Amino acid sequence: MDNDNIAIYFKNVSKSYPLLYQKTIKEFFQALFTRKKTIEKVEALKNINLSIKKGETVGVIGKNGAGKSTLLKLIAGVSYPTSGKVNVYGRVVPLIELGAGFHPELSGKENIFLNGVILGMEEKYLVEKFSEIVAFSEIPMDFIFTPVKYYSSGMFMRLAFSVAVFSKPEILLVDEILAVGDVGFQKKCLDKMNGFKKQKVTIVFVSHSMEQVKNFCDKVIYLKEGRVEYEGEVEEGIRRYLKNNF
Amino acid sequence: MYWALIKKLTLREIKARYKQSFLGFFWIVLNPFFQMVIMSFVFSKILKMGNLGVPYPLFIYAGLLPWLFMVNSLQSAMNVFVSDASLIKKIYFPREILVLSTLLAKTFDFFLSFLIFILMMIFFKVAFSPFILFFFLIFLIEFLFVYSLALILSSFNLYYRDVQYLFNLIITLWFYVTPVIYAVEFFPEKYRIVFQLNPMAVFINAYRQVLLGGDFPKWSSLSIGVLLSLILFFVAKKIFSKLEKNFADVV
Repeated sequence: MDNDNIAIYFKNVSKSYPLLYQKTIKEFFQALFTRKKTIEKVEALKNINLSIKKGETVGVIGKNGAGKSTLLKLIAGVSYPTSGKVNVYGRVVPLIELGAGFHPELSGKENIFLNGVILGMEEKYLVEKFSEIVAFSEIPMDFIFTPVKYYSSGMFMRLAFSVAVFSKPEILLVDEILAVGDVGFQKKCLDKMNGFKKQKVTIVFVSHSMEQVKNFCDKVIYLKEGRVEYEGEVEEGIRRYLKNNF
Repeated sequence: MYWALIKKLTLREIKARYKQSFLGFFWIVLNPFFQMVIMSFVFSKILKMGNLGVPYPLFIYAGLLPWLFMVNSLQSAMNVFVSDASLIKKIYFPREILVLSTLLAKTFDFFLSFLIFILMMIFFKVAFSPFILFFFLIFLIEFLFVYSLALILSSFNLYYRDVQYLFNLIITLWFYVTPVIYAVEFFPEKYRIVFQLNPMAVFINAYRQVLLGGDFPKWSSLSIGVLLSLILFFVAKKIFSKLEKNFADVV
C-alpha cells in the first residue's frame, strides 16, 4: 500500500465498551444471587475498513449513537480499538469539546499558552502569534488578563476556538463546532476552515448539518449502527442517509 | 519533547491553586508551619517528651515536611484524571504527564516550606554541616517512591473511587507508624523493624540524620528504601501502561 498519500487508515477495526453493571457492592451482590450477567458490551464500531487520503475533507454523518464520536476518538489516539488496526499519519488537532484544557481561575492569556502547548504548539510560536490569536477571538484586550471564569460562554468558546485554529494541524478533527459565536464569528470560522482545506490539511468533519457537509466536504462516510453504510460521493451519501431516516 | 507541556501544567497547578484568596501563596508555607507549631507545643510543653538533642520544632518540621509532601501529592494526583476528564477524552499525550506535573507542583511547595526550615535552623542556632546536601538525594528517592504510588492510585481511582476514601483511612494509620511526631529511639529495638520496612520512616530518619544530626544517612536503611521504591516504580509503570489505554473509556 502506498503510505505516502494516506492520512488515516482503519483495518478491521472494532470497538466495544464494557458496561460495568456491577458498579457498586450492592449491585455486585444482587448479581451474585440472581446470576445475572454483570458485564455487557456495547459495540460502538463493527469491523470498520476505511482509508482517508492526505488533504481530503471527509464528512462523517449518521444518527446519534452510530459511532461517529468513537471514530474520532480512535483517530485522535485517546481510545484504542478492541480489535483491528488504526494508523494515523500526521499531527492530529481535535476541535472537539473546545476549551477542554482551560482552567477557570487562570487568565485568558495564561489559558492561551496552556491550551496552545496542550495542542502541541511551541511556546515561541505562541508568543509570536499571541496578538493574532487575541484579535481573531475578538476578545477585548483588557479581558485577556481576567480569569476566564468571568467570561461569557460565547467569549470562552471563541477564545478556545481561536487557539485551536492557530495550531498547525496536519489532520483536523471537527465535531459540530461551527456553531461557535455569532453570525460574524461563524463566518470567520468557516473562512479559516476553507483556508485549512486550501493548505491541504486532512479534515474529518462530523456534522448533522447536511448543508455544511454538502458545501464543505469532498467525500462522505455514512455510519449506521457502528458499520460503514456508505463511503464515497457526498450527494449520494447524504441521499441514502436522508432516505433511511425520513 | 513534552517538557513544555509538563512545565505549563505544573505552572497551572501552582498558579491556579490559591487564586481568589487574600493570603495566596502564603498558604503554602503557613499551613505546614502552623501544624508544626501546634505539634511542638503539644508534645514539648504539655506531654513533655524526652530530650532529643535538637529543638523540638526543628525535629518535627524535618519529619512533617516530607510527610506532607507525600500526603498532598497523592491526594492531588489521585484526582487528576477525574478533574481533567475532558482533556483525556479529547487529545493524546502521555497520561503520566498529568501525574508528574502534580508532583512537581508539590515539590515546589516542599522546597518553599523548606526555606522556612533553613530560617528556623538559623533562629535555633543549629550548625549547618555539608551533610545537608544529602537532603537532595533523599528527596529524589522519596519522589520516586511517591511518584510510583501516585501512578497506581490515580489509575485505580479512575475505575473505583473507593480508592480515595480508603486512602484517607490508610493515611491516618500510616501516620502512627511513621516517626513524624516521635523518634524511632523511643521504641525498644525489637519493634524498630516496622520502621525499616516503612519507606516513609526510612526517609524521615534519613532527613533528620543529614539535616540535624550532621551525619551520613544510615546507608543500610536507606538502601532498603531505594530498593522498595525501585520495585514499586517498575510495578507501577507496568500497571499504569496497561490501564492507561482505557482511561478515555472509563473516565
